[in-house]
Amino acid sequence: MRRYLPRLVGAVIVLWGAATLSFLVLHLVPGDPVAIMLGAQTQASDEVKARIRADLGLDQPPLEQYFAYLGRILQLDFGTSYRLQEPVVRVIGAQLPSTLALAGSAIVIAVAIALAIALLARGRISRAVANVLELLVISSPSFWTGLLLLTLFSFRLHWFPVSGGQGVASLVLPAITLALPIAGILSQLLRHGLDAANAQPFVVSVRARGLTPGQLLARHTLRHASLPATTFAAYIVGSLLGGAVIVEQLFGRPGIGRVALDAITNRDLPVVMALVFLAAAVFVVVNLIVDALYPVLDPRLRAVR
Amino acid sequence: MTQRSTRARRAGWLALATAAAIALAGCSGTATDTGTSAPVDGGTITVGIDSDPGSQFNIHVSAADISALVLRNVFDSLVVQDADGSFKPWLAESWEISDDGLSYTFHLRDGVKFTDGEVFDAAAVKANFDHVVDPATKSQYAASLLGGSAYAGTEVVDDHTVVVKLSRPFAPLLQGLSTTYLGFIAPDVLATKADQLAAGGPGITVGTGPWILKNYVAGQEIDFAKNPDYDWGPGNATHTGAVHPDELVYKILPEGSVRAGALTSGEIDVAENVSPADVPTLQGDASITISSVDAPGLPWSIFLNHSKGLFQDKAVRQAFQRGIDISSAVGAVYDGLYDRAWSVLSPTTPGGYDASLEGTWEYDPDLANEILDEAGWTQRDADGYRTKDGQRLSVHWTATSTREDRATLIAAFQADLKKIGFELVIDQLDVGAYLDRLMGGNYDIVDWSFVRPDADILRLHLYSKLAPIQNASWVNDPHVDEWVTEASEETDPDARAATYEQVQQWVIDDAAIVPVYVPGNITATAGTVGGVRADITGWPLLYDAWTTKES
Repeated sequence: MRRYLPRLVGAVIVLWGAATLSFLVLHLVPGDPVAIMLGAQTQASDEVKARIRADLGLDQPPLEQYFAYLGRILQLDFGTSYRLQEPVVRVIGAQLPSTLALAGSAIVIAVAIALAIALLARGRISRAVANVLELLVISSPSFWTGLLLLTLFSFRLHWFPVSGGQGVASLVLPAITLALPIAGILSQLLRHGLDAANAQPFVVSVRARGLTPGQLLARHTLRHASLPATTFAAYIVGSLLGGAVIVEQLFGRPGIGRVALDAITNRDLPVVMALVFLAAAVFVVVNLIVDALYPVLDPRLRAVR
Repeated sequence: MTQRSTRARRAGWLALATAAAIALAGCSGTATDTGTSAPVDGGTITVGIDSDPGSQFNIHVSAADISALVLRNVFDSLVVQDADGSFKPWLAESWEISDDGLSYTFHLRDGVKFTDGEVFDAAAVKANFDHVVDPATKSQYAASLLGGSAYAGTEVVDDHTVVVKLSRPFAPLLQGLSTTYLGFIAPDVLATKADQLAAGGPGITVGTGPWILKNYVAGQEIDFAKNPDYDWGPGNATHTGAVHPDELVYKILPEGSVRAGALTSGEIDVAENVSPADVPTLQGDASITISSVDAPGLPWSIFLNHSKGLFQDKAVRQAFQRGIDISSAVGAVYDGLYDRAWSVLSPTTPGGYDASLEGTWEYDPDLANEILDEAGWTQRDADGYRTKDGQRLSVHWTATSTREDRATLIAAFQADLKKIGFELVIDQLDVGAYLDRLMGGNYDIVDWSFVRPDADILRLHLYSKLAPIQNASWVNDPHVDEWVTEASEETDPDARAATYEQVQQWVIDDAAIVPVYVPGNITATAGTVGGVRADITGWPLLYDAWTTKES
């Protein structure tokens, strides 16, 4: 337990830092939240504006707002959304399952595609093809890929519905859109990892022990190759969250990506701050898991501890 | 009937906007009925909309277009405004306006019921208007439609007679009363569940309307079921009684190209707020009807700040006005879809458009050059821009998110002005920074359009005490103040129109606001759906609609 203590302290510091930074940034950027909420052409009277400001606690000094905010976070209370006038926890909670379903299926698809490419593209030509494909999916904006998929499979072939929430069928296109760039990166990492592992001297001795190429792959080289991919886990989670914003908007799917976009454009501070906090928490947890996974994947790392 | 800001806030992934060439002929004007078959009962109509009305279900508070558009199905009004601007009976069978313009007596229709079973009567009207003006409601729009500070209360005379009292005349009142924002919420909900009105939902979003809210899934869709007892449709409808379909579904599809695609693939039956860029694709499908209605109110306009900087000088404003080639730019970007504007009122605004302004202030770079020479901007600097006393003739256009290819128009004006040695710098800002500049008056130019079928928008945009919102030009002229106030209190339509013509002339003479083009609301409808009408602002109305699609 003792060796995890510094990590936990570090995690708390990261979360506090994220909360503080998001508070600071959102208060430093120009713009009055009440004015933004009401828009440039508002007919609201000054009295209404003052009432809204008081209701949201925006008439308090910033430092007081900050400490009140930190105090509430400790009780996992992120306040009330300015715009939606609902508890932030409920707003995010209601939308989280939809995004989790999207991100979860995307990661499964991405890993499956990456494994398939990495294992199949072993020849010279197939490698070249894989290289081009990976580069293509990584560099295509999700918005564009999604629109292409929609045009082909939804508007023309009618295989899948356009908009979200209609069971598994409506999850397919968004999940693939989100998965493709991640699959490209994972596949690159895996292929390079496999090449590196195959160049190691132990491969010769393993083959000499009579293991088939399949056994070699399953028991040894794939393990080696998955280490760099695991290191990238945090990055992948990041692209899942970022990609969800675009994919949910495009496919008209509910989810926290939509919530985030709405909250940022409307300067809905409590929601934005809660999302930043949530993202920081996810990264901290993912990194803790990855750290715990290294020794499992690579026995050499166990001795070090 | 309110601001377009909610729509303007859309994230603009401009990959879509690259299709700048638009071909649409003969689509401007009024909506045509779609579908050729006779009305059919049953089925479901699905409409694609561009934004989520989430948390904006309280029509007495919200200022969002989308609230009024979607909730029109649930909430009825006292009167309805027809496409020609006249008012027809709805929940009020008739009404009288006193000679002093201070009291409006409404005779209510008998037998009207809220969908929770409550009776709609004079007390319900009073309860609703009391709710609108209650400071605790924090109304962002409805209160101003009810006259703002001119509203003096509502009196119940008997069950079916109600009087709205004003402290001073307020001519736009009937127009305001015709909007969804002044629709009627069930009194029981107002009394016991007012705090849940913003979130809305079945049993809370309850009106007298032809549709009953059944289900709302945030970010995804809103479902309505037929109100079988409905027998009090608006006076300008094409049928009476309950609606034809059994269900009505609004799907939230924020991307314009996705709404268009979903329509062609049959997933939705009506696409609302179609982007001009998607019109050519939709035209490729002969079964789809596209209708575009020119928005009444203030066209998309350029506000020249009178309070600071170079535009304090009328000559500089006039040079700007005549030095930009509006007709060519609008023609190139919208190709006939939207018309060039000649006045600060768009032609479809009831009561007051001054058609005599058309063609009177064409692009004239020679004149602009002359004006600038006379005003002393005679020197040129190394970049070819005019200078006076060492200062460059340069103004900043403060812009936030743009839509409908407006950025292309601004760039065209920038090129035009360069030819006369006038520098235009475009400051593209996020909405927070934009609003800071706007409120502080720290800008030369801002732009917007404002949809409302009443010429009173001239008061909003020119009255000295309303700077900078909406008087973003910071116009401060005693004559103008007098005219717009007088017109807002004048209940004789002809006298009102005459005053508004005077105001429109003044705006062009003074170059206070430069109107550019008349935006429209484009709706596309599948061949399987008929009876979709457009209201005066161009929003699709579904009371008379039917579907022939087998479900």
